[in-house]
Amino acid sequence: MMKFDAVKIGDTLGPQEIYLSKDQVRTYARTCGMDVPRFTDDAAARAEGLPGMIAPGNMSLGMLSRLVTDWIGSSGARLARLGTTYRQPVQPDHTITLNGFVTHVEPAEKRVDIDVWIENEDAERLVIGTASVEFP
Amino acid sequence: MATILDLHSHSEASEDSRAPLEAYLNWIKLRHHERPVDGIVLTEHRQFNAGADYRALEDKFGLMVLKASEVETDYGHVLVFGVTGEMTRRFDFANVRLSAQELIDEVARMGGLAVPCHPGRPNVGLCEHYGAKPPLNNVVAVEVLNGGSRKGEDARSMELVRRYGYRAVGGSDSHLVSLIALCATRFEAEVRSIDGLVRELKEGKYEPVDFRPKRKPVPAAVPDEVSHNGG
Repeated sequence: MMKFDAVKIGDTLGPQEIYLSKDQVRTYARTCGMDVPRFTDDAAARAEGLPGMIAPGNMSLGMLSRLVTDWIGSSGARLARLGTTYRQPVQPDHTITLNGFVTHVEPAEKRVDIDVWIENEDAERLVIGTASVEFP
Repeated sequence: MATILDLHSHSEASEDSRAPLEAYLNWIKLRHHERPVDGIVLTEHRQFNAGADYRALEDKFGLMVLKASEVETDYGHVLVFGVTGEMTRRFDFANVRLSAQELIDEVARMGGLAVPCHPGRPNVGLCEHYGAKPPLNNVVAVEVLNGGSRKGEDARSMELVRRYGYRAVGGSDSHLVSLIALCATRFEAEVRSIDGLVRELKEGKYEPVDFRPKRKPVPAAVPDEVSHNGG
């Protein structure tokens, strides 16, 4: 089980490669009550000027959240904050990679700050963000 | 003695950055074997903090921290090096529709240098604007390596340099701690101050350098339709 004292700046989260299918994106959007064409239909998304169907921002946030909580594991730590910036649409039918690095360790608060991002096959960073994890 | 500087970075003073300056410097120290820069230039969006003093952090980490700005013009985004009080009185850095030609000419007259950044990027880069408007006069250098570039953007920037004979620089455009110094500029001469940097950018010898890690290829995805049919 991971302990706070063992966490070091530069520790990595991932990389986790995920093939994101259109069915997964449609299912997520509908389950979350976001059943709008840009998340479910290529032609309708293109009519809005998008390159095709895109994943909802919340879905990207959720995947990055899972990257961090997978890293937390059973340590008893908690994901206290996750903030993201959306740079380019995340498109289904592509393999995306989730990455993270520990960038700061704050012993006084037993807090760890982490950079996280999603990139596509061309190493373009589609979504970037930072997370804070608090240890017991 | 050569100097390597990341000429384009954003600390949390920029509204879209999440990176504290101290964490940037700490990261560079830890990754110096991969990204051997001597310092960084903070180019905060649409602002210049004349009063900021980073000497304590420079001493703590043994790295240089210089100040510049990234402003927005009718030809895209431009880095301004050697910012003075005269410049910030002459131009409202918060104005997102500054005249690029006026900026370039006036900044040069006041002793600084304006360098268009990520010129290959849609909407905010020089290339797209050159497709619709006459080229700018008196451009000395442009940023051809940008750590945040998408596929093809740096190549478009290189083509611009070849076509117009501009000089070329590199910068990370980092908004996250771990992305600092992925691209930079190597100067033949020693650079120890913002005045020295402006002088070298105008007259010295330099080249962009790329410290981005080479990534293993990610297999092409199989579209839904194919995977459903093929099992």
